[in-house]
Amino acid sequence: MEFEFKRERLVLHAGGQKWEWRIEPRYWRNPLIYIGILIAAPVIVYFIYPPLLPTIIEANLLAAIAIPLALMTMSTGRMNFGPQFYIGIGGYTAALLSIHFHLNPGLTMVAAALGGLVFGFLMSPLAIISGGLYYSLLTLLFPLLFIEATLIFSDLFKGDTGLSGIAPLVSTGIFSLNLLIYAFISLAIMLVYLFAIDKIFRSRYAIQMAAINDDEEVASSIGVNVNKVKILGFTIAATLVAVVGWFYAHYYQAFSGQVFLPLSFMLKIFMVTMLGGRTQIYGCVIGGYFIAFLEMILIRTTGDMSPVLFPIILLILLLVLPEGLFGLYRKRHYREYMPTLRFRR
Amino acid sequence: MAEILKVSNVSKHFGGLTAVNDVSFSINEGETVGLMGPNGAGKTTLVNMICGSYGVDSGKIEFLGKDITRLPPWKRCKLGICRTYQIPRPFPELTALGSVVVSALHGKDRPNRSLEDAYMEATLYLEFVGLFSKRNVLARDLTLFEMRGLELARALATQPKLIFVDEVMAGLNPGEAEKAVRLIEHAKDQFGVTVLWIEHVMAVLMRAAERVIVLHYGEKIAEGPPKEVADNPLVIESYLGRG
Repeated sequence: MEFEFKRERLVLHAGGQKWEWRIEPRYWRNPLIYIGILIAAPVIVYFIYPPLLPTIIEANLLAAIAIPLALMTMSTGRMNFGPQFYIGIGGYTAALLSIHFHLNPGLTMVAAALGGLVFGFLMSPLAIISGGLYYSLLTLLFPLLFIEATLIFSDLFKGDTGLSGIAPLVSTGIFSLNLLIYAFISLAIMLVYLFAIDKIFRSRYAIQMAAINDDEEVASSIGVNVNKVKILGFTIAATLVAVVGWFYAHYYQAFSGQVFLPLSFMLKIFMVTMLGGRTQIYGCVIGGYFIAFLEMILIRTTGDMSPVLFPIILLILLLVLPEGLFGLYRKRHYREYMPTLRFRR
Repeated sequence: MAEILKVSNVSKHFGGLTAVNDVSFSINEGETVGLMGPNGAGKTTLVNMICGSYGVDSGKIEFLGKDITRLPPWKRCKLGICRTYQIPRPFPELTALGSVVVSALHGKDRPNRSLEDAYMEATLYLEFVGLFSKRNVLARDLTLFEMRGLELARALATQPKLIFVDEVMAGLNPGEAEKAVRLIEHAKDQFGVTVLWIEHVMAVLMRAAERVIVLHYGEKIAEGPPKEVADNPLVIESYLGRG
């Protein structure tokens, strides 16, 4: 048996027979390859080094937040700096219903999604009435107000310590097996978001969003109902992010606004979005894994210094890669990705 | 000819500045009407009000007999009003074809219109303005003349009944300007649109327009056939000043 590499073909000679495989880069773009890798990774990690499973779960969840955020950014033409607000909505809804009413996780998920939907819809007019810096500041403000609310109404939200005693999603009795199942659930959430939003980004709605991103006034003058697109995009994205909050609550079996609502968590999501490439949903997956693993490595190697080093490394990366990791690819293939984002100044 | 647009006593103020003051006029179907006036006369403000970009402080705008004074711009577009811009405003991150597809998808309601249908139709309008070979070029990479062509294609793809052409000659050399004028005349013949043509260049309106409206300091000072308007002492004074 002999392998031979010639002219972008891998040739296998065995037993007098010959098999050839083309290894041209265009075949590498088959999404099934990457889905296969993402599915295989938790299984491999489970057998080799189970303590790495929480990092994979975190990576999937970061990507699952950044992907709807890309939809929100695309459809409104503005960057939301407070997506963690909807994690708070979803997480607290699930936690309160699970603790006080003993609802099962299926029902709490529906309730969390509804919570995200209602709050998303109520806050979506922000994307119409404000723009640029004002929109960013307003969206930044809401999670911080939510933290204050959790402290003021500490009877309900249990203040700093947060709510605990939430029913788990899975309980097999084996800790590492639980983690493996959580990893698959988080991966399923992320992949469903990825393909649903990919479908939207390839549809007629994407071209509306691209037009809104470029020039709202002109888009409106040629018949695009700008407000409808903004409200729909904002509300759908908020609902999807709230479901991630639901997952966090049932995964940790505890939920505290002090963990998910502060700016440090927003920074992580923001970095996933920026490093992956703004509005590039496939880039969000790369960004999610990159950030989750970078954070884990820094915590293990530098300990107490990691909260300082983490943002510094990310800032350097942002300077070196202004269009994110996916931007490196997009630079050479810009016409393949029709809707791109141009920020409002 | 039926009346397509009727503007009655519209006014617009920006703080203490009166941009348009009590202007009334009407446009008939199939007509080419010129709108002229010196810089700052309120021409573009008037068009912005008719298209819905600006609200109207007082007065009424009717299109095909329907009051559209309070309608948002996208609803006015669906009724059949579209425009081009004085300084071209293409979608810089979209290709030329993509820009026209947005119009073909929206604009006038066309039932069961798919994205593929819109792409097919968009190529027709790009071919009409001579940009078919540049369909895959990003709009920001086009020349000024091509951007103006793209704006016209984008406006025509909404299937308008009334189109506002805002200073199409600005920044073009004489050869390009001549081509642009011919293009608009062809558009009028081929697609049967009514044109309100805002222009500084008197010679163009003399040739293309059937009727001319002149604004000065936000007020209508003259209206009539081009020759008659050109000889109007008020118009001459507004352009050249008092001797």
